[in-house]
Amino acid sequence: MSIRIAVGKGSCGIAAGAQKVYDSLAQALSDSDISLDTVGCIGMCWLEPIVDIYENGRLTERLVHVEPQHTKIIAEAVQSGDHAALASLRISEDDSSFLTKQTRIALRNCGIIDPESIESAKAAGGYSAITRILSQENGMTPEEVIECIKVSGLAGRGGAGFPTWFKWNAARQSAGDEKYLICNADEGDPGAFMDRAVIESDPHTLIEGMLIGAYAIGAQEAIVYVRAEYPLAIKRLELAIAQAREAGFIGQNILGSAFSCEFRIKAGAGAFVCGEETALIESLEGQRGMPRLKPPFPAQAGYWQKPSNINNVETYANVAWIITNGGEAFAAMGTEDSKGTKVFALTGKIRRGGLVEIPMGMTLREVIFDIGGGIRDGGTFKAVQMGGPSGGCIPESLLDTVIDYKKLAATGAIMGSGGMVVMDDSTCMVNMAKFFLDFTAKESCGKCVHCRIGTKRLQEILTRIVEGKGKEGDIELLEELCNAVRDGALCGLGQTAPNPVLSTLRYFRDEFEAHIREHRCPAHTCTDLLLYKIDPQKCKGCTACARKCPVTAISGAVKEPHEINTRVCIKCSQCMSVCKFGAVSVT
Amino acid sequence: MKCPCQQQQSNLSLLQPVLQKYASVKGSLITILQQAQEIYGYLPTDVLYHIAEQTGSTPARVLGTATFYTQFRFQPIGKYLITLCDGTACHVNGSARIAAAVQEYLQVENGGTTADGLFSFSIAACLGCCSLSPVMMINEDTYGSLTPAKVLEILKDIQKKEAAQ
Amino acid sequence: MNQIHFTINGIPCVCEEGASILQAAKLNGIEIPNLCNDESVRVYGACGLCAVEVLDDGRGRALPKLLRACSAKVMDGYVIRFDTERVNQSRKIALELLMSDHTGDCRGPCQLNCPAGTDCQGYVKKIAEGDFHGAVQIIKEKIPIPASIGRVCPHPCEQNCRRGLVESPISIAFLKAHAADRDLEADTYRPACAPETGKRIAVIGGGPAGLTAAFDLRRKGHQVTIFDAAEKMGGMLRYGIPAYRLPKNLLDREIAEIAALGIEMRNNMRLGKDFTLDQLRSEYDAVILAVGAWSSIAMRVPGEELEGVAGGIGFLHDISSGEGAVPDLKGKRVAVCGGGNTAMDACRTAVRCGAETVYVIYRRTRSEMPADAVEIEESIEEGVTYKFLTNPAKIIGENGKVKQICLQVMELGEPDASGRRLPVPVEGKFETLDVDLVIMAIGQRLDPAGLDGVSLTKKGTIEADSATFLTNLDNVYAVGDATNRGASIAIEAISEGGKCAAVVDSALRGEIRPYRAPFHSKKNVTAADLADREKKPRCQMPVRPAEERRTDFAPVNLGFSDETAITEAKRCLECGCHDYYDCKLIRYAQQQEIHPERFDGVHNQHEKEQRLEVIERDNGKCILCGLCVRVCDEVAGQGILGLVGRGFPTTVKPEFRSPDTIRICATCGKCAAACPTGALRLIPSGSAAAST
Repeated sequence: MSIRIAVGKGSCGIAAGAQKVYDSLAQALSDSDISLDTVGCIGMCWLEPIVDIYENGRLTERLVHVEPQHTKIIAEAVQSGDHAALASLRISEDDSSFLTKQTRIALRNCGIIDPESIESAKAAGGYSAITRILSQENGMTPEEVIECIKVSGLAGRGGAGFPTWFKWNAARQSAGDEKYLICNADEGDPGAFMDRAVIESDPHTLIEGMLIGAYAIGAQEAIVYVRAEYPLAIKRLELAIAQAREAGFIGQNILGSAFSCEFRIKAGAGAFVCGEETALIESLEGQRGMPRLKPPFPAQAGYWQKPSNINNVETYANVAWIITNGGEAFAAMGTEDSKGTKVFALTGKIRRGGLVEIPMGMTLREVIFDIGGGIRDGGTFKAVQMGGPSGGCIPESLLDTVIDYKKLAATGAIMGSGGMVVMDDSTCMVNMAKFFLDFTAKESCGKCVHCRIGTKRLQEILTRIVEGKGKEGDIELLEELCNAVRDGALCGLGQTAPNPVLSTLRYFRDEFEAHIREHRCPAHTCTDLLLYKIDPQKCKGCTACARKCPVTAISGAVKEPHEINTRVCIKCSQCMSVCKFGAVSVT
Repeated sequence: MKCPCQQQQSNLSLLQPVLQKYASVKGSLITILQQAQEIYGYLPTDVLYHIAEQTGSTPARVLGTATFYTQFRFQPIGKYLITLCDGTACHVNGSARIAAAVQEYLQVENGGTTADGLFSFSIAACLGCCSLSPVMMINEDTYGSLTPAKVLEILKDIQKKEAAQ
Repeated sequence: MNQIHFTINGIPCVCEEGASILQAAKLNGIEIPNLCNDESVRVYGACGLCAVEVLDDGRGRALPKLLRACSAKVMDGYVIRFDTERVNQSRKIALELLMSDHTGDCRGPCQLNCPAGTDCQGYVKKIAEGDFHGAVQIIKEKIPIPASIGRVCPHPCEQNCRRGLVESPISIAFLKAHAADRDLEADTYRPACAPETGKRIAVIGGGPAGLTAAFDLRRKGHQVTIFDAAEKMGGMLRYGIPAYRLPKNLLDREIAEIAALGIEMRNNMRLGKDFTLDQLRSEYDAVILAVGAWSSIAMRVPGEELEGVAGGIGFLHDISSGEGAVPDLKGKRVAVCGGGNTAMDACRTAVRCGAETVYVIYRRTRSEMPADAVEIEESIEEGVTYKFLTNPAKIIGENGKVKQICLQVMELGEPDASGRRLPVPVEGKFETLDVDLVIMAIGQRLDPAGLDGVSLTKKGTIEADSATFLTNLDNVYAVGDATNRGASIAIEAISEGGKCAAVVDSALRGEIRPYRAPFHSKKNVTAADLADREKKPRCQMPVRPAEERRTDFAPVNLGFSDETAITEAKRCLECGCHDYYDCKLIRYAQQQEIHPERFDGVHNQHEKEQRLEVIERDNGKCILCGLCVRVCDEVAGQGILGLVGRGFPTTVKPEFRSPDTIRICATCGKCAAACPTGALRLIPSGSAAAST
């Protein structure tokens, strides 16, 4: 019997201690013939580090929260075949359901194959699609590839949801021999990490998808623009490109065909706006990443003014599967408007946070409660933020909304790149709106007036509201400015920047009003509006709080009830955490 | 006269291999800047002028590009660069308290460096490790599920290690 | 190339296929607002001002998004508008946002504080250049009688003069008088009048307000007749202001200049007696009431009816009315009640009439007096005695004639709404003065005779709309002392006369355009900001010795020499923007009502910097349109200028590495030429850099 042990070593797995577990396992297994593999991220982040055991190619054990001290037990169990000792590490049935309710296409190999081995990828079907396309007997013309993608209904997974085939076709139709295919892996949306996970876990899927795209549009060069903050992803992608070149999938006359394509990685240097395709192109050209006016669109004049196609990682990750399984198979999933599956990064106040890939058409409730297990720590669901700084917050009352580009847009949120941040009743929605505007104001490239100054002013108004200095009329001013920025900004970043404000105003207007009129933060989040008090009945006069207070706002004699001078108090909450008698409360 | 400030005296020869490789490749400015920062730890003004000269660009263009991206620094940084994530998930899960703990313990502002030159501190938009939120990176290492207490422990460990050396 | 047809704001247009909407509009003589576009460089799309709405794309559909006219191509059949509510709102917010981070003074504080908005900086500069006619040309845009106003105006302009933060304000008013005097000497500037419109306007009252309204309307090509009850034109300037301040022959000269434009002036015509309002309304297209406020307000103290109690205006009027009208007050004791400029005129006139003792009774202290400081100073020099903190309680008579005045002693209490401390009586404390004449100079009010049918306010003034100056009667407007808040200074009356003239002109041309205060960007400047300025003392106006001047009505001031005037004018810090008349930003900002203060927030902090000898960059005024950077790059081929940073704090920074680069800039200057605002300036050789 062949036994394979796989340790999930995506960035977050490593951060959770996977490397130490791996090293320890390597030592424990050093004398055995059991193979020890690195795999990427399975997406069950709350259970990291995760160790999978395969017997004869079949997954027989999934061990979670593994620590180095467990590795000896694991090695013994695997070698002896007696798995009784693994019971305490075994994933619970409840947690397993996280995966069983998903349908994985883009993530099909994530956490299963070794991302640093092209053989592992090929064993899982990697490069079979491009091989078929380029084969002599049953190959496909670029037009046939585009047709297949058209049939699949695949739309851009980066956020806007534009039909992929249309962009490919436009680039194909554009005159010129020199064309470029670009992958946007500048995943800057705070709260989304699916692109990182795909590159770290299955870089070959991305490469293959891009090769197919390059073939379809007639590009000779493919460029991956990756965030510099993703060092592991860059490393694995570099390795994968080298391996693919070695194996003849990259370079001149690929697989003996007339198709040639070079690959290159370009590390982004930190600018969210470079997620906008024309800004990304500027950045690729070594310029400030400021968006260009459209038209012309990149498909006509993009990188170095040549026809260029840009898609994001997840979009490309679907391509090989579609070619292999047919466009119809992909289109069979989803809704009338949105086909296939979508990956979400489920995070925030959720019990089971991680990567989720589900067919379009599932409801938000199913994703959050059935897959994600609901709110953690006994909190109450308040809202789910989708689409990050370009998206919005969806309240409890709309949880039965199905996941579909149009239906989500109708709520005021957007599909976005797939960040799904769950919030409970301890989250202040005004503060969330401010958080996103802090972000967009910081990330605005500064080119157009509406975005450069508009987001700044929005941020300032929101800041004064959370500080309790909001004025009557501020809500209307926010709305007016939001509408103007949406109408007047040059690029997608600016045009969508008001969404987090507009959607929170739409569903949580009362929270804005409470801040402005009553100087009260219903979620008890905005520190400037908090009032700390000591209950004289409960206070034993132990002086712990008074000693801890950094601004000596607390007075009182020993063994006498203490008091907080609210005018001096800086609301650091240290008194509350140090009190053993629960005497400090906040309102 | 290359650099008007005349103050910095960086060893420009260190950059030569990078320039050799990229100076004539169009669109390589960001790559050159990234590698220059690898070499010098930040982008000294004289290096920027040198890059402009060697790539046939102008200082205004080089500076314009460099100052656009958050990755680039124009001041030396500490031995340990603490990057605290303030992405949505981290924000919802209390990254502000982590920031406060770091800043109070090290007495350092966002974007600043401690007096002993050991730590630099910066807050980043999102590190993409949302499921471990709140998260921070110290140089290449990622630390997740932070609490103020846990952060202090990590920082004290580094200080101890440094003191021992 | 195909010709395509489309409309912009309803105007049929045609052009060749392939043009942007902005270009197409320009080809058809239509200007769509824009700040970042220049045909010499590539389209950029930053400012957003050129947003247009396409109501029909030629196929019956409206385009959902606003288009940027600079980049969107015009298509056959397009129905384009940039005057819809949506577009106006978008442009308005863009301008408000731009202005919310635009740190600069469009106009100097002198001009902003002048009720008439006279371009003080502009004419002071002309004076500094020795061009007195040029100065008068600028002044007469707002003030038709500069020699007179320069002498009598309490000059609010000087109040806010930034030179005051360095040492003392520029002597703006006297400079104006000087320029006007020199202009009157020869080659007097006389503005041109527009072609005749055939419209006829009657102005009732030939004081500063009426003269200004008439002057401005005549320049617009209308026929104007001024009716005045007095023997001569000039109103309060003639009959309320003593000759030692304003020589009457000078006033005559200036009024003659106005008349020379072709304005009919009819004196000895009293409303309600010699003609009626209804008559004028039927004969003229518009009537402007500028009748002034000629009745002194009574003090309501016992004894007011006694012989020897006079109103301030009445007293001054009688003296000014004609030769030999000066009363002999030799050996008399005179009490003038009040603390304003009329009180000053009255007390100093009383001195000149030979009075032995002249008191000024004022219920507060000197520092609260509304009168000009110089007036107070000079009156003291001339021997006037001040009784501060006293208030007339009773005028005591003997045989029906004034004998004494009993004064209630006051003290200062809490500040009132205007910020001045309120005088309150000290209980039981009185003082009595022996006097022969009591002059009440506490204010004037309208005499409503002849104003039948005109609505009055509670205060007894004519009720006129603050933006249209219209009364309740159609085509009847009212301005000056007679209206709303009541009597004020001459320059206020001039201001209203001018604004009203513009409204009347618009109404006569078919669409009434109410007055709207133009938007101006303002900058907060403190003494600390000007700490590095060289101190240059204010030139003092030479005056005749008090002993000499107190005996006659000849002018007190001797006037500046040309040298002094030029030296004084050169002290100007030139606070207002050099680019005001060329600035596209302010032009658009004034085209619609904007309120940038709604978006008040952080301003980028910018130092003004002067590069080389030739280019001055004021980043506070920069709107980041990128034109300078792009022109330097694409047109000059230099790449010396660059954008630095990102987002809100982005700035433009020039990088002068080598003396070679500096030489290039010294001869190029294309960046400054392209700048749509006053952020970049080519400094004329030999002139010092602008200041604040």
